[in-house]
Amino acid sequence: MSTDPNNLESLVNRRYEHGFVTDIEADSLPPGLDEGIVRAISAIKKEPEFMLEWRLKAYRHWLTMQEPEWAHVHYPQINYQDISYFSAPKSDSDRPKSLDEVDPKLLETYDKLGIPLHERARLAGVAVDAVFDSVSVATTFKEKLNDAGVIFCPFSEAVIKHPELIKKYLGSVVPHRDNFFAALNSAVFSDGSFVYIPKGVRCPMELSTYFRINAANTGQFERTLIIADEGSYVSYLEGCTAPMRDENQLHAAVVELVAMKDAEIKYSTVQNWYPGDEDGKGGIYNFVTKRGDCRGDNSKISWTQVETGSAITWKYPSCILRGENSVGEFYSVAVTNNMQQADTGTKMIHIGKNSSSTIVSKGISAGRAQQSYRGLVRVMPQAQGARNHTQCDSLLIGKECGAHTFPYMEVKNPSAKVEHEATTSRISENQLFYCRQRGISEEDAVNMIVNGFCKEVFKELPMEFAVEAQALLNVSLEGAVG
Amino acid sequence: MSATAINQDMLLAVVEAMPGDKLAEARRAAAFRFAELGFPTVGQEDWKYTNLSVAAELGNEWLDAYVANGGQESDSRTGNLIAAVQNRIDAYWIILRDGFVDSNLPDVDGIRVSRIAEQGHRPLEGADAMSVFNTALLRDGLYVRAEPGAVPDKPIGILIIDNPENAMSQTRVMIDSGENSHLRIVECCLSSEAGRQFTNSIFEADLADGATLDHVRIQNRDEAHVSVNKLSAKLRRDSNFNHNSFDLGGALTRNDVNAEITGEGASVNLNGLYLAAGDQHIDNHTSIVHGVGPSTSEEEYRGILSGRSRCVFNGKVIVSPGADGTDSRQSNHNLLLSDRAEIDTKPELEIYADDVKCAHGATVGQLDETALFYLRTRGLGLDHARRIITRAFAAGTLSTLAVAECHDYLADVLDQRLANLIDAKQ
Amino acid sequence: MLEVKNLKASIGGKEILTGLNLSVKAGEVHAIMGPNGSGKSTLAQVIAGHADYEVTSGAVEFLGKDLLDLDPEERAREGIFLGFQYPVEIPGVNNAYLLKAAVNAKRKHHGMDEIDAFEFLKLAREKMTMLGMDPVFLNRGVNEGFSGGEKKRNEILQMAMLEPSLAILDETDSGLDIDALKAVANGVNSLRDPERAIVLVTHYQRLLDYIEPDYVHVLSGGQIIRSGDKSLALELEDRGYEWVVEAASA
Repeated sequence: MSTDPNNLESLVNRRYEHGFVTDIEADSLPPGLDEGIVRAISAIKKEPEFMLEWRLKAYRHWLTMQEPEWAHVHYPQINYQDISYFSAPKSDSDRPKSLDEVDPKLLETYDKLGIPLHERARLAGVAVDAVFDSVSVATTFKEKLNDAGVIFCPFSEAVIKHPELIKKYLGSVVPHRDNFFAALNSAVFSDGSFVYIPKGVRCPMELSTYFRINAANTGQFERTLIIADEGSYVSYLEGCTAPMRDENQLHAAVVELVAMKDAEIKYSTVQNWYPGDEDGKGGIYNFVTKRGDCRGDNSKISWTQVETGSAITWKYPSCILRGENSVGEFYSVAVTNNMQQADTGTKMIHIGKNSSSTIVSKGISAGRAQQSYRGLVRVMPQAQGARNHTQCDSLLIGKECGAHTFPYMEVKNPSAKVEHEATTSRISENQLFYCRQRGISEEDAVNMIVNGFCKEVFKELPMEFAVEAQALLNVSLEGAVG
Repeated sequence: MSATAINQDMLLAVVEAMPGDKLAEARRAAAFRFAELGFPTVGQEDWKYTNLSVAAELGNEWLDAYVANGGQESDSRTGNLIAAVQNRIDAYWIILRDGFVDSNLPDVDGIRVSRIAEQGHRPLEGADAMSVFNTALLRDGLYVRAEPGAVPDKPIGILIIDNPENAMSQTRVMIDSGENSHLRIVECCLSSEAGRQFTNSIFEADLADGATLDHVRIQNRDEAHVSVNKLSAKLRRDSNFNHNSFDLGGALTRNDVNAEITGEGASVNLNGLYLAAGDQHIDNHTSIVHGVGPSTSEEEYRGILSGRSRCVFNGKVIVSPGADGTDSRQSNHNLLLSDRAEIDTKPELEIYADDVKCAHGATVGQLDETALFYLRTRGLGLDHARRIITRAFAAGTLSTLAVAECHDYLADVLDQRLANLIDAKQ
Repeated sequence: MLEVKNLKASIGGKEILTGLNLSVKAGEVHAIMGPNGSGKSTLAQVIAGHADYEVTSGAVEFLGKDLLDLDPEERAREGIFLGFQYPVEIPGVNNAYLLKAAVNAKRKHHGMDEIDAFEFLKLAREKMTMLGMDPVFLNRGVNEGFSGGEKKRNEILQMAMLEPSLAILDETDSGLDIDALKAVANGVNSLRDPERAIVLVTHYQRLLDYIEPDYVHVLSGGQIIRSGDKSLALELEDRGYEWVVEAASA
């Protein structure tokens, strides 16, 4: 060992920076789940009848389902009756019309998170839809988007203002009965973002949402629906943080993307939910269903994710490549440290002729963390000429962590070409010594090497996010090298 | 569910009715254990793509027949079949017929060969359902022990001939490789005639320090034959296990190859080739456990599929905590020749140590276009060029053949089989 | 500049350096030669601070500071450069990025501002031209997929950029064809300076045809058993190492 393991340990063990609790009066429903709660959520949100019916259908189906156990993760049984399914900042009854009306404490919270909604959003030309606990708080840049015909609003607003779009697309990619957590989300989701890009429109700015779980014992169930109509383009960014708490909190979101003919959606996530402490106490259970439907010919959906947070991650952003020549991409960096567990990957379902997909997954496991890549590439008989390339690399830091790969390839067409490559490596002592001999500190050397390892994915992120992602990675890995 | 179930009452009755030989106690215990397990079902992850309903049907048929005729197995005439193999591969041959040893046991220096039923030795292993089922109905089998340092001049050949007149057979081969011994084994699995039959076979090997075991299995059974084959090898310090499998025949073939490295410096080589046509279903599940390091494993499986065939590859490599210095490589390459064939492949890695080098890969695709073009510029017709490249793809597995004596025989058998595959693509 | 006094060092409990003395002054070029396994590379690694080696006794002073107290990066920032025998590959990390980070780490250590990006590129290109390196190497991963010669040139490029007070070049000539050897030697010679000392660790005399040393030392059994001028190297080339070893033990 050329490196003092304790020293490296301290590098990895940097503290979670976003662990503060905002003291705002919250308007919560009592813990527990039954039809009454589902009806109450719908009523609070003044939803039309069709929404309530959809929720109830999902709830009744959820009752018949079993929590999945196949993932390579372990956690104590979740009691779904202990969770509060709705919590809104109190000012909800009087929704802010602009940022000036937003509770200053909230803005302060965003400041601490390093996302000053005001300046940063404006400077960066990013419209931000911030979901605090469960309700969308403020959306900026509405006018500019309006001019382009883009709809970008809280989901609850879309339900009321654009019921025809919701009716048409909600659940069309992730049906309410899709899986246990998606069904739960369908029953109780509180808010989220809705995006519609009309035909031929290139969205004039990057759209962005920040999600943050705040109240204790609340679950967060947001729902995002993005529709890119023919020939349109949108890039959407999603950031997530949560305060430090001793208890585990449940997050079960659903994201549905629909790309019509010639349309492209780029969806980027930087997920930094509270991961729990070094002994695995607390942290978010992140059970998310994300799926995109390349419905039209020549459509493209690209998922890029940087996952550094959460105690447990269960997440497989997927693409259904229905259109001819449609393209699906998945670029992922997942970091697990201490006691974190992640089971993440993607599914690429090739249906359309000459559809192609690319998967690049970079997993970094440190401390006592366990991380799995789980992926499915399925080529249906009609997907003539389908192509997939998968590259899946793991970097192990320390003796007690694990890195696992479960790639499924199911090919039913002889003209398909499917390739999977995977490697596992670690940061070598030689690499560290080499950098240090050039005057670079051990911590910087680790960061440099890890960033190099993740480069292929970072270059897919919008510039601003890439910088943030790199910083986040460095924070997550503090003290991780042994 | 009921479709895949073995009739448990009948099984217990048959086990009770079997003779009170040295295996009787083990059979009884296994029968009770099997009652709790039953056959694997597609609900289990490891059996997701392979349905054993037919095997269970055949098993029940056999149980009924046993009760009816008191355990008399049908005999068959297989002289030509035997000669066709024995004349081509120079080895010390032993014949296993429906699981029973049916030939003289060869007398080879440093090698002890005996029947499992005749003498006591290490206990029957295997806690999985199919192994337990095998134990429950086991009446004979082959035990081979290489004394320390033994290096026989020729391979041991095991000709496994099953007769479809018997609905089911249990086959078991146990190998003990003594310290620094070097044993080579060729297994040929054939059917004595056409027809449906289920073979449940187990091959287990224990390699002492420094031992080398080379093992080639050529499975070319009847097209209606169903088999579940488990091979397990335990490797101690500095031992080497080299395995080639060639799956050419059978309606449904499921192979489980499990290699467990328990000693430093050990190495495992697994190579497989599967050629599937018509409605054939070939499922290869391999698992290599690096319990300690440094240790190495290399694995390459290749498949060519035509018709409505379906093949499965699931290669698992597990690196246990502390197994530093593990070096593991695994790959699976597939050629699909027909619109209706399907390949399901899953190269898995589970790694719990950090000082390791692991790489795995899988591909599904077609013939190399550049190579095809090259051959065509040299004047070969497209069809001819295709044949050449397809053969080259398959022949790659012969270059790593663990037992050289079977090379020529295999090359011929592969050629015939490939010609069938290419001609009858759909 | 560098004072090594009675240095003993071991790896995995095995003593490699058994009481080594060496004194290097500014402006000098020393060549350390010796048979395989004599401890040449160990000396280089110990001076650079590789943690695999345990210093059991003795002292190493560099510009009046106790070197053994410092971390590898601190030694580097103080002005010690080690040209590796086997330069390490770091996939994905841009060569220019590492170079710039290293230059800035040193500048910061000496209370200087970070180097201007334009200035940096200009300087790097200049040095690369001198070494006969294609500028595209700047944008490749550190040593990733480089040939043996390219790796060694890259080491000299780093040295040229970092302008160390003491450069230790460990078997820099191994695995080089004659053109690469000349380019590397050329690079090293251009860095000869009254303020700078260079220690060449080498098995063969060949390198010394191109970089002329002021002193030649023979290392054997973990100690310097003979020192001389350039002619000693030629004699070694002629007669091998055995006679020196015998003479020393006599």
